[in-house]
Amino acid sequence: MKRKIIIFGALALLLLVIVFIAWDLFFNKPAGNENPYAYDLKSLRSGDSTQILFAEEQHFSTGLPAIHGIALDKSDHIFIAGENGFEIYDPAGKREAAIPIGGTANCIHVDQAGQIYLGMQDHVEIYDQKGRQLKTWNTCGEDAIITSIAAEGKDVYIADAGNKVVYQYDVTGAFHKKIGEKDPSRKIPGFVVPSPYFDLGIGRKGELWVVNPGRHHFEQYNGDGDIMSSWGEAGMSMDGFCGCCNPSNFAIFSDGSFVTSEKGIERIKIYGPDGVFKCMVAGPGSFVEGTRGLDLAVDSKNRILVLDPEKNQVRIFTLKKQVTGK
Amino acid sequence: MIGFTHFASSRLHGKKSKRIVFLCLMLFFSIQFLDALAVQRFPKPEFESGYVQPETMQPAARAEMLQIADVIVLVIMLSVISWLVVKKRSRLGVFAASVVSLAYFGFYRQGCICSIGAIQNVTLALFNSSYPAPLAVIGFFILPLIFTLFFGRTFCAGVCPFGAIQDLVAFKPQKLGTRLNAVLGLIPYIYLGLAILYAATGSDFIICRYDPFVGIFRFNASFAMFIFAGTLLVSGIFIARPYCRFLCPYGVLLNWISRFSWKHITITPSTCIQCRLCEDSCPYDAIDLPVTGTNPESRGTTIRKLILISLLVPFFTVLGGWTLSTVHETLASVNGKVRLAKTLVEPASSVNQTETIEVTAFKSSGKPVAQVYAEASRVLKQFYTGSWILGCFLGLVFGITLAYRMVTKYQKDYLPNKGTCLSCTRCVDYCPVRMGDDNLPAI
Repeated sequence: MKRKIIIFGALALLLLVIVFIAWDLFFNKPAGNENPYAYDLKSLRSGDSTQILFAEEQHFSTGLPAIHGIALDKSDHIFIAGENGFEIYDPAGKREAAIPIGGTANCIHVDQAGQIYLGMQDHVEIYDQKGRQLKTWNTCGEDAIITSIAAEGKDVYIADAGNKVVYQYDVTGAFHKKIGEKDPSRKIPGFVVPSPYFDLGIGRKGELWVVNPGRHHFEQYNGDGDIMSSWGEAGMSMDGFCGCCNPSNFAIFSDGSFVTSEKGIERIKIYGPDGVFKCMVAGPGSFVEGTRGLDLAVDSKNRILVLDPEKNQVRIFTLKKQVTGK
Repeated sequence: MIGFTHFASSRLHGKKSKRIVFLCLMLFFSIQFLDALAVQRFPKPEFESGYVQPETMQPAARAEMLQIADVIVLVIMLSVISWLVVKKRSRLGVFAASVVSLAYFGFYRQGCICSIGAIQNVTLALFNSSYPAPLAVIGFFILPLIFTLFFGRTFCAGVCPFGAIQDLVAFKPQKLGTRLNAVLGLIPYIYLGLAILYAATGSDFIICRYDPFVGIFRFNASFAMFIFAGTLLVSGIFIARPYCRFLCPYGVLLNWISRFSWKHITITPSTCIQCRLCEDSCPYDAIDLPVTGTNPESRGTTIRKLILISLLVPFFTVLGGWTLSTVHETLASVNGKVRLAKTLVEPASSVNQTETIEVTAFKSSGKPVAQVYAEASRVLKQFYTGSWILGCFLGLVFGITLAYRMVTKYQKDYLPNKGTCLSCTRCVDYCPVRMGDDNLPAI
């Protein structure tokens, strides 16, 4: 009896193979009306909505023609940088100032003293809160594309996507060193930056975190430029970073958790300080397809501020009420 | 006694080897599965740093010297395996040779060039004068057939990488019985006929399209093909070499030629003592059991059978030809020109339908529609003739198979079936008779 079952099962598998060939040869119309080589991410854009624990609480439009960077100061005032200027909003989203500048700022950072750092194409400009330009740092080279700035104590870190390196300056503008250049002897893999999205930020203990987008990694460096740790993995699933090079932007909560944004499949997610996926903030359905450069900031109330360049809006996400229980 | 001890130790040794092979295969296929799940990165990098994307390159054809080297390796392997099968009668040697072939023709040459697929190249070259079949392809097609004519299917025993990979997984082969073997054995004829029809009409190389193992050899199987190959290999645990026996179109040619082979492997090197040890040794059901003429058919029965056969075979031949000719349009739908013409004729069934790539390519070519229809019409005519020939061929094969089963064949010894025997030499290990044991009494 057992032998008969085995033979029957094996024969069924064999017949399955033959049926597959016959079906594919005669009845499976080749690609129908679809281009099999089309760049189509539809199937990947549908996700598990139960993983989305945040809801959009508020949004407001900016007065800039194009927006590229968002930052907060210690009192949660919102700073937006973009084409030909930057703007300052109060925590409720009411505009307080609009300062014109000569050029486009790719990124913005506000330090503890309230100084505003604007990352232009190849150099950094520093302004005070009243819009007066205090200083311009030297150019980082003709290939430079400054995409992120963060200050910690006396150090200022600048991410240069063009040269695929992080510069360490001090607050006076003196250049100290390059961080993240490939160095096998120090086990530094080097940054792989195929697209002009290369973000960095400061962790809860003052440590520097840099995205290595081509490797889908977050890498932690100390002040000497030594790599201390890393986390992250590539993948289409919820807990991975998709595409050629992601995440594009991130911000860090006060508890050390990371909020990340991706392009390709537009999604915003939260990971714990140890890099373990926690939840989604917003999925592809919340954004116009093709949106890139969703810069992020987190305020003192753990609200997540998302800069949406496609809609030219600042969108504020908070935990859903059923999650908070309030 | 020595023979039985040898037999018992070889069985124990065989069990241990099977376990090791099983573990190695599990590891190998685990690696394959990881590859099947690989995802493509997207989107393409859009960073504008002056980097120029390289042009898509076609891989260069294999150098002529290397092609000749492949043919030389084939000749060497065929010679070695034939010697191991016919002269040395060494199962271990055949196994070792099949591993070498798997490594060279399978993983190094990545399953291409192969004798099975060469059927299509040779066919296309015969029907289309503008297509020159490379000499190496002709060599791969002809050489195994020549060796088979001399030594039986030694190519299947240990040179064909398809056979070798399936042989590794045949852990628990079951006997299928003669009827089931006969029915399933008709499938390769259909596959061969279709492969020739599609190659002759320049439609498709279906043997390559449904090559189950090439993705594994190249470590790049798509998920569907991985499942396809996996299904065959899983069924191959219980039905030894399912592709070779019930799908391989080249096996049909080898089967025919092997029946006339000059020196075919024998189970016993000397006189069969009727010990029956080899009776269940063949995993491919390729041993013909003794049929003694204790109660031979009467002359009248034989005459009635002959009359029936002489009527049935032509009947099935014509029936097969007529049946397939009625579905020649379905058969022709595989052809790209026919498919394009059909798409152009049929109106879009829904408003949202977008045109196919073929239609887009055709429109951009600037060719007139009438030209496509004319070409499709010509191909349809070819398929009409071809499906008649194919149908007649399949009907003839069916009729002969039926007739073959009606005829009683008398033989007193256990003999390998020269057509279906794959010369694996497993049965040899089971035979307790050794060379020169001419005086052993029959049991």
